[in-house]
Amino acid sequence: MLYLKDLHKQYGKVVALESISLEVERGETVVIMGPSGCGKSTLIRCINRLTEPDRGEIILNGQSVLALSDSALQNLRRNVGFVFQQFHLIGRLNVLENVMFHLVLGGMERTTAADRALAALKKVGLDNAVSRYPHELSGGQQQRVGIARALVTNPELMLWDEPTASLDPILVGEVLDVMEELVRTTNTTMLIVTHEVSFALRVADRIVLMDHGRIVEEGAPDVVFADPESEIGRKYKRLLMS
Amino acid sequence: MEAPGEEEKVMLSFFRDGFYKDFIVLIVLTIILGAVFSSGIAWALDSYFGDALDDMIGEYGEYDVILHIREESKDAAMRELERIAEQHFKGARLSQTLTIAGQANFFFGLPEECRTRDILENIASYFGGVPGLNGYTLIIEPSILIRGVHSGVRSELQEQIEAIPGVEFAFRDGSNMIVLLTDEEHSREVSARVEEILAQYQIVELRFPMGFEVDTQQVGDEAINIIKKMAPGRRYSNVTSAEYGEELDAFLKTLVEMRDFLMSYASKVRITVDPNVHLAVGEQIAVQGTSGQELEPTASITDEHVLIEVTAVYGDMAEGMITRGSIAQSIDKLVQKGYGVQSDGVITDFVGEVELENERYRLAYAISESLRLLEELDELSVQANAAVDNADAVLNTFQEALMQLEVLQVQMRQLNDGIAKGGTGSTGEQLLVTLLLNGLFQSLAQAAVNAGEGSIDSLENLDIEEMRTSLNGISEQIANVQDIDVQAIIQQIEFVRDTLPNLEDEEIGQSIRLINTYLGGQVIPGERIQILVHDGSVDEKEIEKTLQVELDNPYLHTYSTSVGMVNPDARSEIFRILKEVRAIVAGMLAIIYTGVILVLDHATIFSTLKYIRAARKPVTNRWLRIFDPIKILGGSLGALILFTVYQLSRAQIPMVTPPMIALCGFVIGLLIAIFAERFSPVHTKEIMAGQALGLSNVQIMREIVIPAGRPGIMNLLNRWKQQF
Ligand SMILES: Nc1ncnc2c1ncn2[C@@H]1O[C@H](COP(=O)(O)OP(=O)(O)OP(=O)(O)O)[C@@H](O)[C@H]1O
Ligand SMILES: [Mg+2]
Repeated sequence: MLYLKDLHKQYGKVVALESISLEVERGETVVIMGPSGCGKSTLIRCINRLTEPDRGEIILNGQSVLALSDSALQNLRRNVGFVFQQFHLIGRLNVLENVMFHLVLGGMERTTAADRALAALKKVGLDNAVSRYPHELSGGQQQRVGIARALVTNPELMLWDEPTASLDPILVGEVLDVMEELVRTTNTTMLIVTHEVSFALRVADRIVLMDHGRIVEEGAPDVVFADPESEIGRKYKRLLMS
Repeated sequence: MEAPGEEEKVMLSFFRDGFYKDFIVLIVLTIILGAVFSSGIAWALDSYFGDALDDMIGEYGEYDVILHIREESKDAAMRELERIAEQHFKGARLSQTLTIAGQANFFFGLPEECRTRDILENIASYFGGVPGLNGYTLIIEPSILIRGVHSGVRSELQEQIEAIPGVEFAFRDGSNMIVLLTDEEHSREVSARVEEILAQYQIVELRFPMGFEVDTQQVGDEAINIIKKMAPGRRYSNVTSAEYGEELDAFLKTLVEMRDFLMSYASKVRITVDPNVHLAVGEQIAVQGTSGQELEPTASITDEHVLIEVTAVYGDMAEGMITRGSIAQSIDKLVQKGYGVQSDGVITDFVGEVELENERYRLAYAISESLRLLEELDELSVQANAAVDNADAVLNTFQEALMQLEVLQVQMRQLNDGIAKGGTGSTGEQLLVTLLLNGLFQSLAQAAVNAGEGSIDSLENLDIEEMRTSLNGISEQIANVQDIDVQAIIQQIEFVRDTLPNLEDEEIGQSIRLINTYLGGQVIPGERIQILVHDGSVDEKEIEKTLQVELDNPYLHTYSTSVGMVNPDARSEIFRILKEVRAIVAGMLAIIYTGVILVLDHATIFSTLKYIRAARKPVTNRWLRIFDPIKILGGSLGALILFTVYQLSRAQIPMVTPPMIALCGFVIGLLIAIFAERFSPVHTKEIMAGQALGLSNVQIMREIVIPAGRPGIMNLLNRWKQQF
C-alpha cells in the first residue's frame, strides 16, 4: 500500500534521511523507533509531504505522491491522518470545531461533520468536552482531540509522530489506551513513531529501527527485540529487560 | 537546477488556489482606505486651521479693509463707521474683532458695487475722519499684492496687468499695487504673469554720496547715454522719483545738520595727548571739572567729575565732547589733567592735558556786552536830533557804536551758520534757541532795511567818511533808528543770553551721541538717480566702474532693484502654507499608514510564505537568494501602496519626488518582509496541522493564519470568508 524508495533529505550539511526504503502493507501497524534526531519525524512527514524530500519515491496506493499537483496532494492528505507530537490544535477553535472544521472546509455539511466529529470524540472519550478550548484541556486530552481530528475522516493511513512524547507519564497511558484500541478495532494502516517500547511490542506488526537517517533493522517485534542485529536494537532490548 | 522553479511554485501556488482574489481585494481596499485616511486627516487638520483663521480674520473675501483703531476710541469709531457705511457704502459689512495691544480692529466689507478702483484707491479719504484711526490694511480678496511698485512704471504696469485674463483691475495702495482678481482660481497664473511682467523691468540706481548734489535730470540722461553704449538693445528712461526715499533722505540730512549745530555749541575740548599714550576715538577721559576732587588712577570716578568722549584724533592732538558733567561758566579756558576711564568707572592712566572752553558762555558774554551798546545806541538816537550840529562828535560816537554792532554781527553770523542749516524739522530746547536767534537776526536785518541801509550786511561796508559827507541826511536816518523797536530786540537777545549757558554739555553730548548712533546704522543717501531698464536687464556692477569714470565720481555706486515684488497677501500665504502642511501631513500619514498596514496585514502573509517555503527544498540558486521573491514582493507591495496612497491623497513632502516615495515604500516593504516573523509571528504548528488535514493555502490563510493574526484590514475582510 505504501512504498518508499531511496528517500533522501538533507538540511544543509545535516543528513536527515539517507536512502530510506520501506514497504507497508494495508492494515499493517509499523512502529518506527530510534534515537532522537535520527530522522523519524522527517521520514513520517515526507510521506504526506509536510516535508519535501530531496530525492526518492513515495508510492501510496499506486500513486506517486511526489508527483501530485497541489489539489491532488490535498485530497491525499485528507485520507491520511496525522497525529503530531505537540498536538497542533487550532487554538481559537473549540474541541468540536477542531475535529470538524476540515470536514466542512472539505465540503461536508456542517451537521454531518458535527455528527462525525462527535463520534470520533466519543472514540477518544472526549464527547463531554466538545465546547472547551485547547488551552482548557490537559495534554492528554489535547492529544486525544488530535487523534479524533486525525481519525474523523476515516483515513486509510494514519501517521503518528511521537504522540505521547510531550505528555507527562501519568497522561501517557490514556493516549496509549486510545491508540491500542484503535489498532485493535480498525483496519487502518498505521505508521507510528514512538519511544514506548512495551506499547510497540504489544501493537506492532513490524518494528523499524532507525539511526542516523537510515533504517538499521526491521522485523517482527519479537524477533527484533529478542535478537537485535543493530546497536540500537540491542539498546532497546536492554531497555525492555530492565 | 530545479530550485528556481520550486521557489516560484511556492509563491504561485500560495496565491493560485484562491488567495489571490482576497489579496487583490485587500490591496485595492488598502490603497483606497489609505488615501481616505491620510487625506481625510490632513483635510480635517486643514479645515480646523482654516476655521480658526476665519474666526480671526473673517471668511475669505468677506471683508475688504481692516481699520486699526485706538482702543479708547472704538465706540466713537464704531458709530462713525456705521455712519460712513450708511452714507457711502450701503450694504457694507462691519464687525469688530480682536483688540491687540491697545488697538481695536474693525473689519469693513464693501458692498459689491463699491469695489471699484476709484473707491479703493481713495479708501483713506473715506475713513480718514474715523476717530482714533491708526491706519488701515486692505485685505480685499481675491487679490495679488505687488509691493514697492516704482512710481515711474506704475501706470505702465497697471495697463499690462489689467490686460491679463482673470484680472478685474489693479489699483494703487500707497507704494503697493493690489491686483483684484475675478476669482481665486486664477491666482497662480496671474501671479506668474505679473512676475513675468515685472521681470521685464529693472531699476538701476546711481547713488551719490552725501554732499554731491547732482542735477538728476542732466546727469541721469548722461548716465543713460553711457549705459546705452555698454548695453544696447534695451529701453532706458530716467525715472528718478521725487517721492521715493525722499522723506528718509530729508530726515537723515536734518539729523546730520542738527548734530553739526549741536556740536558747534558744545564746549570745545582739546586734548594734548601724552606721547606715551595711544588715544582712540570713542575712548572715555575724565577730568576734574569744577570739583575739588583730584583724579587718582585706580580710584573710581564720582559724579563731580567731567567725562569726555574722544571724537577725533589728529596725531598728538585730539578733540572730544563732554558726555557727563559740565565745566564752569567762564569765558576763560580751563586746562586740566585728563585720565583714561574704564567702562566700569575706574580711572586709569594720565592721557594728556585737556583744554575746555565753554563756547556758549563766551557767546552769552559777547551778547551781554553788545546789549549794553544797543541800549546806548537807543539813547544816542534819541539825542541825535539835538546833536546834529555837533555832528562830528556824534558821528564818532556812532562810528564806535557801529563798530560794536559789527562785533555783534560777527557773533550773530556764527550763530547763523548753525541756524542756516539746522532750521528745519528740529525739536527740543536747543532748537528753540535757534529759532529765537533766527527771529532776532531777521528783526535786526529788517530794522536795518527800514533804516535805509539795504541790509545789515552792508553795515560792514559802511563808509564812515562818506557818511560824514552825507551828514545832512543823517538826522533823518537817526530818526529812523528810533523806529527800531530796540527794546524788543533787547528783550529777545536777553532771552538768548540767559538761555544759552543753560544748555548743559551733558545734554548736548548725549544728543550728539544719540544722533551718531542712529546715523551709524544708516547709509546716508546722497542724491540718487534711478534709471528704468525695459526689455532686459543690465549688470549694474559691470557699469559701475564705467559710470564712476565717465561721470567723474569715484564715490558713485550702482544698485539694482526691481520695480515691484509680487507678495502673496497674508491670507493666501497662510492658506498656501496650510495647503503645504496638509500635503506634508498627508505624506507622513501615507508613510505611517503603509508601515502600519504592512505590519498588520502583509507581514502575516510574508511570515506564512516564509514558513511554507521553509518546508520545501532549500533554495540553492544564488540569484534567487539575493533577489528573494518574498523580499521583492514585500518591496513592491510597499512601493505600490505608499506610492498610490501618496498620490491619491495629494500628499507632497518638500524635496521628495515621486520616485523617492516609491523607493521609500520599497524599503519599508523590504524591511517588513525581512523581519516579517518578528512583526507578525504565525502559529506554524497550526499551519502544519492545516496542511496535514488537506486544507488548501487559501483555506489555511482564511481559517488559521488570518483569524489568529493581527487585526488589520485583512482580518476585517476575512470575516466575510471565514467559516469558523
Ligand atoms: N527544519 C529543519 N531544519 C534543519 N534541520 C532539521 C530540520 N528538521 C530536522 N532537522 C534535523 O534533521 C535531523 C533529523 O530530525 P528529525 O526531527 O527527523 O529527528 P527525530 O528522529 O524526529 O528526532 P526526535 O526524536 O527528537 O523527534 C536532526 O539532526 C535535526 O536536527
Ligand atoms: Mg521527531
